[in-house]
Amino acid sequence: MKAVVFDGVVLGLAFGLLGVGMTLVYGLGGVLNLAYGQIVVVGAIAISLLMDDGAPTALAAVVGVLAATALAVLLDLTLMRPVYRQEGEERTLLGLLLTLGAAFVVAGLLNWRYPTGALYINVAGDPVSILGVPMSRGSIWASAIALAVAALLLLFFGATTFGRGVRSVIQDEIGAQLVGINPSSVRTVIFAMSGALAGIVAITHSMSGPLTVTAGFELTVFALIVTVVGGLGSVAGAFLAGVLLGVVNALSVHYIGQYITSVILLGAAALTLLVRPRGLLGR
Amino acid sequence: MGRLGLALAPIAVTAAVLALLPPLWFGDSPYTTSLAAQALVFASYGVGFNLVFGSTNQLFLCVGALAGLAGYTTGILAERTSLSIWLAAAVGTAAAAVVGGLLSWISVRRSLGVIFTGIVTLVFSLAFTNLLLGQRDLTQGETGLVVPQAAADLAEDRVGGYYLFAGLLVAFLLVFRALQLSRAGWAFRALRDDEVAAELSGVDVARYRIYAAAVGSAMIGLTGALYAYSAGFISPATYAFERVDVRVLVLVAFGGLGTLLGPVLGAGVFAFVDERLTESLQLREVLYGLFVIALFLGFRRGIVHTAADLVRRLRARRRPAAVKEQPAAK
Amino acid sequence: MLEVVGLAAGYLGEKVVEDIDLEVETGEAVAIVGSNGAGKTTLFRAIAGLLPALEGRVVLDGRDLTRRPAYRRARAGIAYVPAERHLFPAMTVKTNLLLGAYPRRPDRETLELVYELFPRLKERLRQQAGTLSGGEQQMLAVARALVARPRLLLLDEPTTGLAPIVAQAAFEALQDLKRKGVTLLIAEQQVPLALSVADRGYVLENGRIRLQGTPAELERNPEVRRAYLGVA
Repeated sequence: MKAVVFDGVVLGLAFGLLGVGMTLVYGLGGVLNLAYGQIVVVGAIAISLLMDDGAPTALAAVVGVLAATALAVLLDLTLMRPVYRQEGEERTLLGLLLTLGAAFVVAGLLNWRYPTGALYINVAGDPVSILGVPMSRGSIWASAIALAVAALLLLFFGATTFGRGVRSVIQDEIGAQLVGINPSSVRTVIFAMSGALAGIVAITHSMSGPLTVTAGFELTVFALIVTVVGGLGSVAGAFLAGVLLGVVNALSVHYIGQYITSVILLGAAALTLLVRPRGLLGR
Repeated sequence: MGRLGLALAPIAVTAAVLALLPPLWFGDSPYTTSLAAQALVFASYGVGFNLVFGSTNQLFLCVGALAGLAGYTTGILAERTSLSIWLAAAVGTAAAAVVGGLLSWISVRRSLGVIFTGIVTLVFSLAFTNLLLGQRDLTQGETGLVVPQAAADLAEDRVGGYYLFAGLLVAFLLVFRALQLSRAGWAFRALRDDEVAAELSGVDVARYRIYAAAVGSAMIGLTGALYAYSAGFISPATYAFERVDVRVLVLVAFGGLGTLLGPVLGAGVFAFVDERLTESLQLREVLYGLFVIALFLGFRRGIVHTAADLVRRLRARRRPAAVKEQPAAK
Repeated sequence: MLEVVGLAAGYLGEKVVEDIDLEVETGEAVAIVGSNGAGKTTLFRAIAGLLPALEGRVVLDGRDLTRRPAYRRARAGIAYVPAERHLFPAMTVKTNLLLGAYPRRPDRETLELVYELFPRLKERLRQQAGTLSGGEQQMLAVARALVARPRLLLLDEPTTGLAPIVAQAAFEALQDLKRKGVTLLIAEQQVPLALSVADRGYVLENGRIRLQGTPAELERNPEVRRAYLGVA
């Protein structure tokens, strides 16, 4: 069982990053980016294309992250402009619908051009034993990357002026404007950052198994569940929820079954919305 | 009687058009006929969805799931019990109505806004699909369920299926119109415009919401159940979110949210679009995405509203003197 | 330093304040007095940029800021402290202060100045802003605005929610600020308090400026006396 839990943690760290990306964009602007999973896939396909052409993995990975970031920025500069002009519920609804449309466009294009596209980063080497459990090199790399990114995020939001500025926009947008922060450019930077996170998830997720071109919607749903359970707008909450749900996922798939697991995860999201809408760590 | 006639006229026209379409337009092509029948199915889903979202602002992203609930209930009951297909369909429809009403009740009790209702119903949709896939003993999972007693004649002669759903759609339109004209319809409009004001003027917003959800869900369920009957075979993919809900949302929005004929017009247009794009499923997906974006960016009011606005503006222009001259009120 | 010319502003196209002409010189303390609903907050939000000007201009040190969004005006030197304060509730007092000078960090000297003015805040640096008392939150809001070394400090009803003794102390602190050379524009319902610290005052009624003058002139004015000072 320890092995299952560890696998769950590895998965959960990726979930966590995914949730952080989505929750940041929601916390800052009230937008649920339903095209998020597709951004991950775009990153993955970019990397796999480059690797097929012979590029070294590290270089391909960097380009992949950049590709995902670029797509995110494109979405922000085009579709998000009319969305941010709306307020409150109108904005969230429009954001939801436009990103849903974008998700279909991206998914359709990807499926059309690369119907068999998939990314699998195979990390060579013997399994390493962590606390008595043999873990594949891929899993270790994936966890290490995820944890490193999490630490960087913590540093960013806790200790840099811009990071504090981002938190301030989430907590009180008017107050942020009054101290000289431009919420609009903060939103664009964070949207780009969420794209980068998506690219990183493409890397870490594909180290434990192939990430196919059809995985977009599923990833978006995972991100949504983690975001909701963690608390909309809470970065720490998303990360925590990600790890927890990753472990639940692993245990449930192992002992019960694939489909029931999905129902359980979805149920967790529904339960959170109905019983404790602010999620684990939300306000 | 004249006003009632005027109110029913669009439905009568629609019924006439639908009745005459096969002999005039389809020729003997079973393919075109089944495509048209598909459009009618989606239009029927649309009328139900329109009642729930268009009339009472509840974003039910579970049209497919409700239809699937009814469809699978029908299939399973018909297969495993001695119930006739019609009774099974009735049970299925009732199940959908109950679940839809329940979802609405939950959303009302927990004061979920539009967005969260959308998320909860989306979650329900996805969970339901997973249940269908997981409970193989009951549903045959991915392979799909064969619906017994399915009218073989309907399957052979596609026109039968067409007329079944045409009749269903006209019936739904009549119910929708009846609701619009009734006290319930007035309540719907009031609560959609300003919920607080409606509540203050005595409208039991919660009750009307649940009522609309139950009736709309019944429509969706009945359509899903009859689909199972006429197709003879259903699978989780038949009622999946990507396949049903997105289409219904787009065609109802395109036709005009809250209007009577919006779903019909929307379904018609999309049937054409689908026909043109039969080769590439992926490109169809891209086009749907672009449609959604364009729709909610610009053409948000849909065909019927836009047309009505145009008519109103033309009328105002034709009689400028009568409109502008007003006795000075001092 | 601040010139407001023919300003009109409101909500949903309706004008709440109209025809506003006012000036604030460097180092001055100017008060805007008026009863509830006179339009003081609307005026301040328009000056700060949170509300677009329907007519007129807002000019700071010769720069026309009328078309600039709020965050640009903040960086240009207009520090607005609204009645609702808009602090960052889940952040510590210290972090709130650190953000005041965005995008820069406030230097040691400025922070020391602020701690000197508000010793209570220095004691509570690690406390979350949302858990402070009303008076402390007000102090923090003003302190955060000061950290940016603003050209102009806009204070909207600084005594809101404060007990009379605390309100008195707040205005004494404002006198302190004025002595230190901070230019103040204060909106206040409580006329005597407002006039105690101001060099000049404007009376705002139904969205328009009715009177202006020195505190002495205003106190002598019979209408002011009747309407705002409760004197027959």
